[in-house]
Amino acid sequence: MEQDNNQSTTNNKIPFDEDNYTHNIHKDNERSLDRRGFMKTMVGAAGLFAISTLPWGALAGKELLGLKSKVYEKKKIVDVSLLKVGDAAEFSYPSEHESALLIRLSEHEYKAYQNACTHLKCPVFWSRDDEQMVCPCHHGFFDPKTGAPTAGPPQRPLPEIVITIEGNVIYATGVKRYEA
Amino acid sequence: MKRSYRGVMLLSLILFLNIICTQYTVNFYFYEKYTLTIIFAAINVILFPCAVYIYRREVKVNGR
Repeated sequence: MEQDNNQSTTNNKIPFDEDNYTHNIHKDNERSLDRRGFMKTMVGAAGLFAISTLPWGALAGKELLGLKSKVYEKKKIVDVSLLKVGDAAEFSYPSEHESALLIRLSEHEYKAYQNACTHLKCPVFWSRDDEQMVCPCHHGFFDPKTGAPTAGPPQRPLPEIVITIEGNVIYATGVKRYEA
Repeated sequence: MKRSYRGVMLLSLILFLNIICTQYTVNFYFYEKYTLTIIFAAINVILFPCAVYIYRREVKVNGR
């Protein structure tokens, strides 16, 4: 019986002639995979990979053609007089769901970062005593001068927010692009 | 009957390259390097016709 089955699919020829994509799918021996069946699977997988990258290419193309640099709104963070040296202020930028942290490192040095930890998005806070940013979830630490991770699980720096100071008010004007 | 596993090897290599290119495409997208994203996506697409070509050539043992 099995031999009959084999003969009907391989039409008594070695190598057998066939021009379809499913010659190896039978109810009997459904778990057996011959060389040709394996190669068909590989070609199918290559096709899947090709199709799966198309959306990424399209998105990248859209990004290249259209909004080359995103336009951010200018937003007031805090008054200079309310932020002492070594203190930090929380705000949200660019949308109200993206929390951020402004730190006054010295008299004229301010740094602002989006404070979602680059590990698992826990909010990072400013630890004044340690002079670094701390993620309480898994003890990730960030350098306040560059936003780079210094210890713990996070591998990527925090996205920096561009700030300008006009008179007595600090404004957020943009988010720096990732440079890696 | 003589078996040739050259096709199996070559197609495995193609799939390996597919995996690498997909990985790079996604990574470069998130690092906002869009030109590289498009290049790797294009390589990934081109690999598919290559795989079909290899299959058609290698499915016939001894090239017959």
